[in-house]
Amino acid sequence: MTTTAPPSAATRIEAGKLSRRRAVLDALSGRYRVVPVLLMLAVIWAYFGAQNSAFLGNRNLTNLFVQIVVTATIALGIVFVLVVAEIDLSVAANSGATATFTAVLVVNNQWPAWLGLAAGLVAGAAIGLLQGAVVTQFGVPSFIVTLGSQLILMGALLTLLPGGTGQVSLFGTGLATLSSTYLPAGLGWGLMVAGVAVFLALRLLATREAARKGLRASLLRDVVGPGVAIGLAGVVAVAVLNSYLGVPLPVVILFALLAVFSYLTTQTRFGLHLYAVGANPDAARRAGIGVAKTKMIAFTIAGSLAALGGILAASRLLGVSASSGSGTVLLESIAAAVIGGTSLFGGRGRVWDALIGALIIGSISNGLDLLGAQTVVKYVAEGLILVLAATVDAMLTRGSVLARGIK
Amino acid sequence: MSAATTEPDVVKNDLAKPILEMRQVAKLFGGVHALEGIDFHVGRGEIVAVVGDNGAGKSTLMKIISGLQPADGGEVFFDGEPAHLRRPADSTALGIETVYQDLALCDNLDTVQNLFLGREEHRPLLRGARLRRADMEHRAHETLTRLGVKIRSLRTPVGRLSGGQRQSIAVCRSTLSDPRLVLLDEPTAALGVEQSRGVLDLIRRLRDENGCAVVLISHALRDVLDVADRIVVLRLGNKVAEFDNTGRAVDTDQLVAAITGIAA
Repeated sequence: MTTTAPPSAATRIEAGKLSRRRAVLDALSGRYRVVPVLLMLAVIWAYFGAQNSAFLGNRNLTNLFVQIVVTATIALGIVFVLVVAEIDLSVAANSGATATFTAVLVVNNQWPAWLGLAAGLVAGAAIGLLQGAVVTQFGVPSFIVTLGSQLILMGALLTLLPGGTGQVSLFGTGLATLSSTYLPAGLGWGLMVAGVAVFLALRLLATREAARKGLRASLLRDVVGPGVAIGLAGVVAVAVLNSYLGVPLPVVILFALLAVFSYLTTQTRFGLHLYAVGANPDAARRAGIGVAKTKMIAFTIAGSLAALGGILAASRLLGVSASSGSGTVLLESIAAAVIGGTSLFGGRGRVWDALIGALIIGSISNGLDLLGAQTVVKYVAEGLILVLAATVDAMLTRGSVLARGIK
Repeated sequence: MSAATTEPDVVKNDLAKPILEMRQVAKLFGGVHALEGIDFHVGRGEIVAVVGDNGAGKSTLMKIISGLQPADGGEVFFDGEPAHLRRPADSTALGIETVYQDLALCDNLDTVQNLFLGREEHRPLLRGARLRRADMEHRAHETLTRLGVKIRSLRTPVGRLSGGQRQSIAVCRSTLSDPRLVLLDEPTAALGVEQSRGVLDLIRRLRDENGCAVVLISHALRDVLDVADRIVVLRLGNKVAEFDNTGRAVDTDQLVAAITGIAA
């Protein structure tokens, strides 16, 4: 609890200094959480751009965006489980197993690609739901439940793979075209403009409603400012991608998901309940919120996004094998969410964190590859960034709004 | 719920009757009497404080009223009608709201989001299910102003607000459903002198502005003497004394003597 005694004259100056520091901490853990993360991305891009001019070229940036889609998609699901103060360590294994499931259905059983994709998503969602049910109904820590199911899913992957070759090739199937498709320039522009327009319309609507009720509303701060920033970013991104092959279809899918889930988390009741459940489950329960239900939905979302990520990865690699969903997939997805600014302590995080975090991780990986660095260097760099991001999270959490819940 | 809508002439007749009346209410915990058949009532627009030492039965009484722990014996009447308080929902349906000591706030959400937690207003699903943020913020502002609670920005996470402001938000939240009786558990326990005064003012406004009856459980005897119209003293599960404090004439010594059972 905060101290309540009125400050004496002697301590007032000290308190002023403290409160200014506190205000900065609060801003960094709230509305402006994204600022240091974007700065970090800028520094990384500047460094690699200076080291190798190809890094910021249209071809490499297109590659970078395609590379990060898988990580960002899985990380998006991680954001949901982290916000409700849980963790899912099975997402990578889930992505591998469900991608294999889909590949087997499409290639060996001749299902149409879309049906195989749908079946894979349902399977991933079911895996997430089941884990969420075990966690919430039996009170088993999600850390252990998902660690266990990670092993189970690795086993499932090996069982699903056909004997002999131990892999399924997606070459020539509809699934392969998923990641080899690039949008015509005009369509890329159109979708970007439509996305920004929807954002502006929603912001404008909210500002007008607030103004009509006599509440504080600033057209500049709430509509024009963010609108210009997002619009500029969109124009630059589409211009760069169009100067090479066009906007890749997986990137469009990722941004569509981000937009939909951003709306869900910030504009709807369910979204608000996610944050309430993550910060104070008892308070949420007493307010009539179904805590278990909310958490199970979060796990289900994480499961289906893991499946989608796995299928996108399989599509890009033109097949699945025993190594699908292994390696650094799990670490990079969780790292992306945390580096992007989603708290490991629950109750804080935004869906866009997944994108920005994945961009940071992806840029380091891509940049080091370009410089011909060894895998060791890559691992160490990514590991260091993750620990740094988690440290920042812990500091912001301790010194800020959630302090009460942590101490 | 239907009982809550009263016609003017009915109100006149009912005014004399207490909003809550409990007769010979008892609660057993494994053979031990937490409450040994006590009579307790709360008048309309009355602030009743329940005091007593640890283990006196204050919390048990409160839990019975809020429906958290059903009584083992006795009768409860709410608004003159027999009431069966078996679950928290039973009490809520009658118009009884409870503010627990831990406040049950989400520190990462702002004042508006906390006030409306669990009963957010939103547009229909077909129109995007978007939260009616402006409406809620407007209503939050109205409620807080009417009850004299000052919070600089309703968009600040409540984790950043002072203990007094947080307590006030929790109390204001209980008023949003237009309750007829509000239960407050140790509302000033965690607060300093100045913030306590603010919360006590808020309790008085609850009575004067909203016409709410208030049951207050507290260890802070000075606060109790300051705000309560009537003080009920419990000791070891029995009601041992009751003071009429409408004239604010009761003093601490009298209360302490009643609580401890040692003559002053």
